[in-house]
Amino acid sequence: MTAPMSKAWFEDYEVSMALPSVELGPMDRYDYIPIALILRDTNPLHLDRVYAQERGLPDVVQQGPLNQAYLYRYFTSLLHDPWDLVATKMRFAANVFPDDILTCGGEVLALAPEEAGGGIVTCAVWQRNQKGETILKGEAKARIPSRR
Amino acid sequence: MTVDRTALIGRPLRAATYTVSDVDVKDFLGVVAEPDFAPVVGFEGGTEAASGRLAPPSFAPFVAVLGLLKTFDWQDDFLFDYRTGTAMFGEQSIEFHRPLMVGESVAISAAISDVYEKQGKQTFDVVEGTFDIKSREEGDLLISGQQSYILFK
Repeated sequence: MTAPMSKAWFEDYEVSMALPSVELGPMDRYDYIPIALILRDTNPLHLDRVYAQERGLPDVVQQGPLNQAYLYRYFTSLLHDPWDLVATKMRFAANVFPDDILTCGGEVLALAPEEAGGGIVTCAVWQRNQKGETILKGEAKARIPSRR
Repeated sequence: MTVDRTALIGRPLRAATYTVSDVDVKDFLGVVAEPDFAPVVGFEGGTEAASGRLAPPSFAPFVAVLGLLKTFDWQDDFLFDYRTGTAMFGEQSIEFHRPLMVGESVAISAAISDVYEKQGKQTFDVVEGTFDIKSREEGDLLISGQQSYILFK
């Protein structure tokens, strides 16, 4: 699911540089059961295909926080330490359904060097489905160490 | 009848707590495999061994969503019938102040910061909430942010 990606140092980043994109999937409806248990949210929209179809949807809807988790995993896999994540801002734009293939990617927006070395990298991040529809879009900031 | 939710602006929501349990994190990692945060193998002593271990940052949105859901009642606080209405997440922004630990108990405080109506294919209200998530033991801030909910009319 996740291709190995090299972890860049602060000096390696440039504004407008594209982050490597990663494809995930197909999404599995059986994953929605443990996620519903964790979220204490047994809304049938996520679990009952007939209920979802009666409401005009093609299938059950993957939980939004799960979509987010995949985008977080993508972005933090680029970091030397996943907890170098500083901030995120994400907008939910569309639903994900079973068997969808998701692609996560991003682009560097800004670089802010820090006196101690390294700096904060701000990136646009996005997640799209196999039709090119945007599922999530937003920004993520992380502290990236210097190579030196 | 159209509901006017603007009177909700500034309303503090109820205090809530959540424990970043080993079971939740294990279930999460069973779905969102995170190589750097592999769950503790085996059942016996697993919970004890897991305590003090870092949870992945990808679990943070779950803590925020779960924690916030405990701070309000759809009907009483948002004037929204969750059984018949349609609600969606809008935006979530999070600032990370320190890593989340498996086993730690957190306190969530939240308030409604804004409410406004928007028109798309349908008319909907956007209810924005701000939240802080602190360690219950140390009292230090772990996560702060904003979450908006879209409530269709």
